[in-house]
Amino acid sequence: MDVVKAVLEKHQKELDKYKPITVEKHLECRIDVGTLLITDPNDLEDRQIAKNKEEYLAELTRDNTQLLVNAIWELPTERVDESIVAKLPEPTTVLPRLRKPPGVRPMTKWEKFAKEKGITKKKKDKKTYDDVLDKWVPTYGFKHAEAEKDKEWVLEVPQNADPNTDMFQKKMDLRNEKVAKNEIQRMKNIVRAKKVEMPRSGYLGPEAASSNQLLTAVTVAKASTASVGKFQNKLPKEKEARGLGVKELIPGGKRKASHISAQPEREANLELIKSVLNKKPKLNVDKAISLQKQDERLEREAEAGNKPAKKKGKGSRKAVGKKPKGHQGQRAPGKKGQAGRKRR
Amino acid sequence: MKRLTDERTKILFEKLAKYIGPNVQQLIDRPDGTYCFREHRDRIYYVSERILKLSECFGYKQLVCVGTCFGKFSKTNKLKFHITALYYLAPYAQYKIWVKPSYEQQFLYGNHIPKSGLGRITENAGQYQGVIVFSMSDLALGFGVLARSTTECKTADPLTTVCFHQSDIGEYIRAEDSLF
Amino acid sequence: MGRKAEYSEKQKKGPGRKARKQGPPKFPKKSFAPLDDEDKKLSHRQKQRVAKRDQKKIVQKAKLKEKRAQQPRRRKPYNSDSEPEEEEQQVEQPAESSDEEVPQLVPVQKKQKSNGYSDDNNDWLTLKSGKQQKKSVKSKEIELEEEDDEVSENEIEANSDEEAEEGDEDVNESLEEEEEEFMDDDNDAQIGKLDDLFDDDELISEPDQDQAIDSENGQESDEDDVDDDDDDDDDDDDDDDDDDGENKLPIERANKKLKKRQEKDAILSREEMQMSVDQSEVFHLPESGEDADKELSLQDVQQRIKDITQVLSDFGKFREEGRSRSEYVDQLRQDLCLYYSYNEFLMSKLMDIFKLSDLLEYLEASEIARPLTIRTNSLKTRRRDLAGALINRGVNLDPLGKWTNVGLVIFNSTVPLGATPEYLAGHYMIQGASSMLPVIALAPQEKERVLDMCSAPGGKGSHIAAVMKNTGVLFANDANRDRIKAVVANFHRLGIVNAVVSCEDATKFRNIMTGFDRVLLDAPCTGTGVVSKDPSVKTTKSEIDVQRCYNLQRKLLLTAIDCVDAKSSTGGYIVYSTCSVLPEENEWVIDYALKKRNVKLVPLGIDFGEPGFTKFRQHRYHPSLNLSKRFYPHTNNMDGFYVAKLKKFSNTIPITKEQQEADEKQLDEAIAADQPEAKTTTDKDAGGEEAIATDAATRKAKGKRAGKPTLTDVEQDLKKKKLEQSKTKYVANVFEKPIKVPKKPKVEQIVPPTQEPKENGKKKEKVQKNGHQASSSNLKPEPKPAAKLTKKLSEAKRVDLDEVPLLEGKPIKGQKQLKTKSKQLGQLKKSKKPTDKKQRFKK
Repeated sequence: MDVVKAVLEKHQKELDKYKPITVEKHLECRIDVGTLLITDPNDLEDRQIAKNKEEYLAELTRDNTQLLVNAIWELPTERVDESIVAKLPEPTTVLPRLRKPPGVRPMTKWEKFAKEKGITKKKKDKKTYDDVLDKWVPTYGFKHAEAEKDKEWVLEVPQNADPNTDMFQKKMDLRNEKVAKNEIQRMKNIVRAKKVEMPRSGYLGPEAASSNQLLTAVTVAKASTASVGKFQNKLPKEKEARGLGVKELIPGGKRKASHISAQPEREANLELIKSVLNKKPKLNVDKAISLQKQDERLEREAEAGNKPAKKKGKGSRKAVGKKPKGHQGQRAPGKKGQAGRKRR
Repeated sequence: MKRLTDERTKILFEKLAKYIGPNVQQLIDRPDGTYCFREHRDRIYYVSERILKLSECFGYKQLVCVGTCFGKFSKTNKLKFHITALYYLAPYAQYKIWVKPSYEQQFLYGNHIPKSGLGRITENAGQYQGVIVFSMSDLALGFGVLARSTTECKTADPLTTVCFHQSDIGEYIRAEDSLF
Repeated sequence: MGRKAEYSEKQKKGPGRKARKQGPPKFPKKSFAPLDDEDKKLSHRQKQRVAKRDQKKIVQKAKLKEKRAQQPRRRKPYNSDSEPEEEEQQVEQPAESSDEEVPQLVPVQKKQKSNGYSDDNNDWLTLKSGKQQKKSVKSKEIELEEEDDEVSENEIEANSDEEAEEGDEDVNESLEEEEEEFMDDDNDAQIGKLDDLFDDDELISEPDQDQAIDSENGQESDEDDVDDDDDDDDDDDDDDDDDDGENKLPIERANKKLKKRQEKDAILSREEMQMSVDQSEVFHLPESGEDADKELSLQDVQQRIKDITQVLSDFGKFREEGRSRSEYVDQLRQDLCLYYSYNEFLMSKLMDIFKLSDLLEYLEASEIARPLTIRTNSLKTRRRDLAGALINRGVNLDPLGKWTNVGLVIFNSTVPLGATPEYLAGHYMIQGASSMLPVIALAPQEKERVLDMCSAPGGKGSHIAAVMKNTGVLFANDANRDRIKAVVANFHRLGIVNAVVSCEDATKFRNIMTGFDRVLLDAPCTGTGVVSKDPSVKTTKSEIDVQRCYNLQRKLLLTAIDCVDAKSSTGGYIVYSTCSVLPEENEWVIDYALKKRNVKLVPLGIDFGEPGFTKFRQHRYHPSLNLSKRFYPHTNNMDGFYVAKLKKFSNTIPITKEQQEADEKQLDEAIAADQPEAKTTTDKDAGGEEAIATDAATRKAKGKRAGKPTLTDVEQDLKKKKLEQSKTKYVANVFEKPIKVPKKPKVEQIVPPTQEPKENGKKKEKVQKNGHQASSSNLKPEPKPAAKLTKKLSEAKRVDLDEVPLLEGKPIKGQKQLKTKSKQLGQLKKSKKPTDKKQRFKK
């Protein structure tokens, strides 16, 4: 018995070393086993903290941990490779996120346009029937390309084109261009989505710049002098850059004086008219010739007027050659109508 | 109603000079009052200053038309004369072309004038000269541009176009919506 | 490899689609059996037809009952009380004839029974009784003809005469088919008469009728005819025997016979004449609702219209006992509505306007189009030249009348008149004769400033410019932006260079510009005068339309009057015209204006047309309204039109500002109330607060409007607040002054036209002497665009502002400058500007 008692006592002593697994709490703790989280809503005891803060907190933590462990033990367990394992349930606590969630993807230019216009995407069939090949061909993919190759084994060279052009190459180029354009547009879309500042003008390189951009660049450059381009000469037929936002780019554009001259309108107009009318005409050869011809004609007529008038009529006319006779002999093969005049 | 910029005024006068030559001056230098050109929604109006002043009390949107509309500036600063300008172009015309009665109707439907439809033509008109088109009874029908000079006209065969159609009075009916 | 596609599910496009095998055709089991009516579903039309048939049956039954009620005398001998007998009755005379119980003078009638005929044309048969009598006579004659050949010629003549008569009768009867019932009555009534007249009664008595029907029905009644003829012959023979016992030549005897016959015929025909006269004289007005479901042909309606007009022309003589006049009038209105396809409202209006005889003429004239007229553009050509040019193009024309020297009337044309080179060159304008009248009445002078308030499509406006010879200024305004294009096009085509075309709301024109010498107001109207051009008017216009029109017209006319400068040396005239004939839109509007403004009516200077009404039903208009003119299609051969010319004799407004404001509000309210939810016309506008309020109220109901973003409620509230704020500002600015002003003695509303101007002038002078403040307030014509000035300024500088001479006719926008220059008043006066001349008064 003593032995038993001793053992028990020993055990009791050992147990006394540990704290009990049951914990008394004034308010029940919230436990989220999924995230292994326990929140203790009970107030801290001020006196304890004042007396022995560390100890008290350690005690408190142990108690709460005990509660969490208890909760874990309530879960169904199983034994896997000598160890007891419990499967945690789904967490119920929503944890705050470190970064802001990604927003809606900004629309591409096309998507925006399509939405405005109410264009909806029409779903294409995966395969289309090809009349020429007489089979179903995928709409895209390498099989489509293959089929295309099969179909267009020969290409027509248009009449107005150079007969030596490689139409296959041309087609390939076209396609490449399309791909490249698409790529540029994709890039532009990304730029737009990121709201990155891009240069609106300036030389963007021969590949990228459009004629409008080039024109804008020229205009801006011309105006970028100390006198905001006032003394820059214009080339003949030079165009001014126009369009949305262009005016703002041109230095001094806003400061420019009115396009209307300060003179009284009527005088200004008359002056303008004078300048228009006095413009040196281009040498118009045709007109000169026609004038010359007219003069000559007038001269001739004048001369003819001086001469005694020719007698007109049958008598004065000398018979020159044979009298034409109708329907005799051979007609001129190319000519239509009657041969000769009919006399009645 | 605003004053034309110098640039536009110049374009206008150049265009006018194509049709009526030195008579442009007569439009500005009038004995019966000051007349001026004004721009309203890209359209050019020719109107007496007296009337212009009275029209000032209308709002931009409410004002539809003052005086006579001459034409319209395109967005690329090119001037196109409307048929309504004929009222002033016809009396001052320097180069005229008369169409045969049989071709009147054809012209009024907007066709070019071939040699066969040509009744008379002013002497010495060069190629691309702006001309006023008249019917044989001296009714102004429209205006156009010579495709051939007068001398060339004489030798041309009947089907060649001698005058390109630019505008005709049929447009009052055909293009009422787009003109005004 | 990619995924395996499942083609089986997808319906193939392309060639394989139809290839799917179709199942065998399926028939309903019964389909080859005889069709069961009940099972079969009737189509919509079929159902309608069935319904119609049923209805017809019911109607016929009802009719028969009526008939029986009307002919108790006849039925009594048949003593048929039971239902089947009544059924027999439905088959009417033929059935009767086949009936054994019928007392028969002519015995053999049995054959009919075998002849199954329908009662489809029962009524027709009864109507034709008179005709059939004659037929029997005719057949007799034929018999006779066979007997004596010598007299055949005479015989034929007589025959043809009769036939002609018969024809007449026929037409008459077919016209009066709808009057079957009372015709029957008449017949009955006449039987007695005829009996008196004739000794040989068989012709008219019932059995004969039956017999006649027989002959009508077929040739099977030969026997009857023979019998009949025998009788007749016997009679004749008897006569002969009585008259002359001596022997006579057969030819003489025949002659005698013939004469007798002719006599008889004469009597007969006279009798018939009498009958027809009787019929027409005693016009029976159908009971109300009697013919509601009866199908009437247009001819019947027309006949009835004629009859009723006859009755109404001498009511005491022709009326039916116990029917009131209103019953006749109601019936007439209904018939007219039906015949001319007007709606009740418009027809009753027209009946109020016109005398009965005129009404029919008017309605007839409204049906046919007026002749096409053109107006020579005197700016470009002369009438004679134009006429020559058009005649060369194959147009048949004539000068329009003495009253105009530019009008031409086109009779016919081989070319489209709207596309000749002359038209395109602006030598003429296609324009109704009536629309030249307002301009003639307006009589614009050269170098005047004239306003055409509702000008589209520019016909009258261009006429004004032509009369002014392109001098002065013409303001052409129209609220409709689409129609304004036509004005511009026409003006350019016609070579008018002195015009300003604007697209303003005409009711607000006084805020834009005043001081015109003349104003033409061709007000938007219901168009009841131009029915021939637009027949839809006949059915579509209603009370509310008219109301909407005249409220707008009143507002426009007041504006027009306000725009005119009474002190103009040459003018000061307003011409008001509409293409409507309703007095609500014409005299009433003018009458209203006479009360509200200092205007008087003056003669138009047109010597034809009817004078305007001075009283209409319960309304009594100003007696001078007879100076205005009405034009009708049936009297003047132009569209229905109304023209009135007013002269403004004082710029003051006889009513106080408060009243004026109230009037405005009232008109606005009326207009706003009249506006239907979906407003089509754009030229109407209720400028006041009400309109905006209603707009705001209806905004939600309307839902999303095209082109405008939908506003959230908050935004809407904000907007409303802003609006209200601006409104209050506006109101304060506009109407502030009059509140301070001491009320001036009210000017008489109805004034003797000649004396008034002087009187008024005197008064004004007096007032001017009285005090500066008062005079300025007096002369202030209207809510001037004080709104332009800021509130603060108007308060601070009021005295100054009052002193500022109002620049009439000067663009109102110019008054902005006024604001800045108000301090330097002296300067403004020193500088002799052309506008100084137009100052209303000088210190």
